[in-house]
Amino acid sequence: MLTPELTRLRRILAAAGWSGLGLIAIAVMLADFLARAPLGAAHTGPVLAAPSEAFPFGTDLLGRDMFSETLYGLSTTVAQAGEAAVLALLAGGLLGFVCAHLPRPAGNVLRWAIGAFAAIPALLLALAMVALTARGYAGLAAGLAAAPLAFVRAFDRARAAGRLGHAEYARATGISASALLNRDLAYEFRDTLLPTLARALAAVAIILSTMSFLGFGALPPHRDLGLMIAAARTSYLEAWWTVAFPALALMLLILLARLAAGLDEGERP
Amino acid sequence: MSDARPILEIKDLSVARDGRAEIDRFSLTLNAGETVILLGEAGSGKDAVLRLLDGLVDRADEVAGTLRVGESEARPVAPRMRVPLRVAYLPGAAQRPLDPLVGAASQLARVIARRLSCPKGAAREELRGALARFVGAPSVEILDAPAGALDTVTVAWGLLAAAVASTPELVLCDHPFADMSPVAANALSKALVEEQARLGFAMLCAAREPQAVARLKARTIVLRQGRVVEEGEAAHLMATETHAYTQSLFRALPRPVAKPSRTVRGEPLLQVQGLVLSPEPRKTPRQRDMMGFELRRGASLALLGETGSGRHTLLRAVLGLERRPGRILFDAVDLNLLSEAMTLRLRRRVAFVTSNDAALDPRMTIWDTVDEPLRAHLKLSRELTAGYRDTALKRVGLASYEGRRTVATLPPFDKRRLQVARAIVAAPLMVVIDEPLRGLDAVAQTTMRDLLAEFRVESQAAFVVITSDFAVAEALCDEVMVFDKGRMVERGAVTSLAQAPKDAVTKALVEAACLV
Amino acid sequence: MWRFALKEGGKWVLALFGALLIAAALSALADPGPYLAAFGNRLMAFLSLDPGRSTISGLPAARELAMHGPATADVVLLGALMALMLGLPLGLLLGTGGMRRATAPVIQIVSAAPVFCACLALAYAAFHLFGIRPDTASRVTTLFLPTVAVGLAGTAAVQMALRRAASLAQDSPFRLGLRRLGLTAMEIERVYVAPQIFAGLLESLGEVMLTLLSAAVVAEWVFQSHGIAELFVKSVALHDWSMAAPILLVFAALTCTAEFLGRVGSRVLMRAAS
Repeated sequence: MLTPELTRLRRILAAAGWSGLGLIAIAVMLADFLARAPLGAAHTGPVLAAPSEAFPFGTDLLGRDMFSETLYGLSTTVAQAGEAAVLALLAGGLLGFVCAHLPRPAGNVLRWAIGAFAAIPALLLALAMVALTARGYAGLAAGLAAAPLAFVRAFDRARAAGRLGHAEYARATGISASALLNRDLAYEFRDTLLPTLARALAAVAIILSTMSFLGFGALPPHRDLGLMIAAARTSYLEAWWTVAFPALALMLLILLARLAAGLDEGERP
Repeated sequence: MSDARPILEIKDLSVARDGRAEIDRFSLTLNAGETVILLGEAGSGKDAVLRLLDGLVDRADEVAGTLRVGESEARPVAPRMRVPLRVAYLPGAAQRPLDPLVGAASQLARVIARRLSCPKGAAREELRGALARFVGAPSVEILDAPAGALDTVTVAWGLLAAAVASTPELVLCDHPFADMSPVAANALSKALVEEQARLGFAMLCAAREPQAVARLKARTIVLRQGRVVEEGEAAHLMATETHAYTQSLFRALPRPVAKPSRTVRGEPLLQVQGLVLSPEPRKTPRQRDMMGFELRRGASLALLGETGSGRHTLLRAVLGLERRPGRILFDAVDLNLLSEAMTLRLRRRVAFVTSNDAALDPRMTIWDTVDEPLRAHLKLSRELTAGYRDTALKRVGLASYEGRRTVATLPPFDKRRLQVARAIVAAPLMVVIDEPLRGLDAVAQTTMRDLLAEFRVESQAAFVVITSDFAVAEALCDEVMVFDKGRMVERGAVTSLAQAPKDAVTKALVEAACLV
Repeated sequence: MWRFALKEGGKWVLALFGALLIAAALSALADPGPYLAAFGNRLMAFLSLDPGRSTISGLPAARELAMHGPATADVVLLGALMALMLGLPLGLLLGTGGMRRATAPVIQIVSAAPVFCACLALAYAAFHLFGIRPDTASRVTTLFLPTVAVGLAGTAAVQMALRRAASLAQDSPFRLGLRRLGLTAMEIERVYVAPQIFAGLLESLGEVMLTLLSAAVVAEWVFQSHGIAELFVKSVALHDWSMAAPILLVFAALTCTAEFLGRVGSRVLMRAAS
């Protein structure tokens, strides 16, 4: 049960999460001003310099300022993950709610078809989709790959709500299926819109960065955090900062998105 | 029977939680074999007394007062204090005290085994023996089903058997027969009183409705917000010369009213011919299984019977939610000839008021709940519906609420009133009222009964009341149809059935409701 | 019970068929002819247990699966074992009682680390603590480190499922009801609450399997363990759809089967509890 203390705690954490995401969004928008070097500028300092006052996040193999590169990487990840999260929300959550209100046989067929995709790890699905199209569509692929699970959850939730007393009584007083869908959209979808979006953001940020890490994501020169970490695989054993700061930035983004979703422990880790 | 030997004496008991007094300077003397009823609404402090005797007062609670058991010295009360008596707890089945996924018998046997310190097998036999003593109780094998799959009456028999099987000295009854049909509550109360006479245990019974006082006819302490309002024997409290608050509680008791018989001459709204309610209709149904009746506009009809007697099946059939053999004309249209979409349109003229609080969407706001029928059926804008909505909310006494508050945050009584407001706004041809008083406190029951009676007088709609309580039928309807095992067994004017019921089922239902 | 098992079995068969259709659709991309005919051919081939031939290596896909399968099976099975050994006590310790709410934010922080970051952290620790380079082929790098990475991901999934089940059981009214009826708190937890929590974990078995498989893909890639998960990434990169499709089918079948077994197991557990 949601006690008032737990509800308050959730609100505080969600507010902290959204505030953090807001700060990240501002940092990303001001990336060109905040960065100390242009995107991809090599030899701005010595090669593999440890973090110092001059280079707070150190430099990488090509002497690029890791602070600036992490900022640019974060902005690429945020931009792609944002698009992908909206896509997952619409193609997953919204579609799930709508399909749950279709006539039962049609809804069941759709649930089965999309449920079959949900049985495949989203990462593998996203890799296959990128390989079928092009690397430029990584965000689209991540969003579509995360959608089946969101669809299944929204569908099952709406169907379970439809079996509850209030839906039965509504039907018994002539409230139509479209009016019941309106209820779901006006209450369930609206109320869960922001947390669902935040949860989707966390999920697609993981998928996108993993795709890039495996070589299926962002295209240079627009390096995202996953690609930066992949590129640093040859140097991180000696120069930890080449991986640590992009990884921390990525974890911060995921953590803030999860906090913004509330203390929901339902999402896949 | 009471032998005037006190087994328990509580003096000046006070329990406070988070600085708020749950009960304040409460005193009680309970003799062996005696029954005392604590009567009050939610928050009156009954639960604090039961928790103290059950050893479950929280360590965070502030407690004061003394407790004396039998001949021992009085001791100051303390949280988690164990009372040196064999105490059995008898909760109401509606509180869902058992794990719904596990067999009820297995859980009850474990409870008995724990109390008697005996093996579970022996405890199961004790349970079987206790159940066998009760007339109308289920067998242990029936109770082997998961508790969630059993009806409340069956679980209540099991809980009662488990309570008495441990030969207690004191039974703490926590609203044991609330939210049940009068027939079942009477049978259970009778069995409990008989067991008390046999075993001689004392009983402390928390109740929120005066029906419990009328059934147990015991000394009653009326509580309000943690304080004793009045104390006396049942007969005295049921009389009129009592405290105003006590009177307001006891007004919920059904009293015989001289009602002029009303003949409604409106157009027929519902015509049912040759309808069969039995679960598996035969190809050629027997005449006795077929039923027919007519409900005119503005008329009122009670469908009286126990759970599973066929009342809801009839309702589902007349609303076109379930196709059954027979002919049903709703507003002169044959439902069996209509498509699903058309029956849905017809059902727009039906409104519901039920004891099932889940009938309202908990996510919706108060305003949206009330004006949804107008917006969904007539496509009216919110500006146009606001006037109707506010008038309806005022009539049911919910106008003071912030309209954007969600239904989930409302107490049960207010949810029930909100259903009435929604029904008023919908301007229906037929209002279906399903056990309207179940689960409500005494004062709320009276208010709800008056509200529905007033709604009936002012509305042009036909009223169909589904109930197992003849008193509810009497208060709200002119005509009654009595159901049993999927068949209608008797039908007639409410006044004639009250005076001369013919069928045994009708007799039992009428007698169970006659508490005064 | 049998009716339930049959119903779940039906769902399982349907889910497998769905996965088969997806695999056939993907595999048909490798055929040069008309797509629908290729799809039909591939579907029939899959149904007759012939997954085709890899376009890159030229070897039968079944043989490739047999060659690379054991490495992945080792990593996933040992990872699952580790997930259970770590996740169960952790989940029960941190997911029940007052600890659940207190540890919730910490769990969010810990589980925010993507698997590839955890893999790199493991490799870094192995190099600096034990002098093992991740790019040298040894049992430690191809089996131990991937297993630990998969096991950690699985641990997070197991304890998350336990927390979810515990939070549902925590709100049940029977806990107070049975307590007042005379059972001890410990007895209620042991006899009634614990089976519900474990049943909840079993219900989430499909999700745990998805996590283990996703983690295996990344761990095999980072530690160059040549299992089918790594083979999938390579096949997809080289557009070898006739190899990628059967791997996808295997993964989907594993998830569906875990989901089916979990549901039936959960029901059996609750029956046993009563």
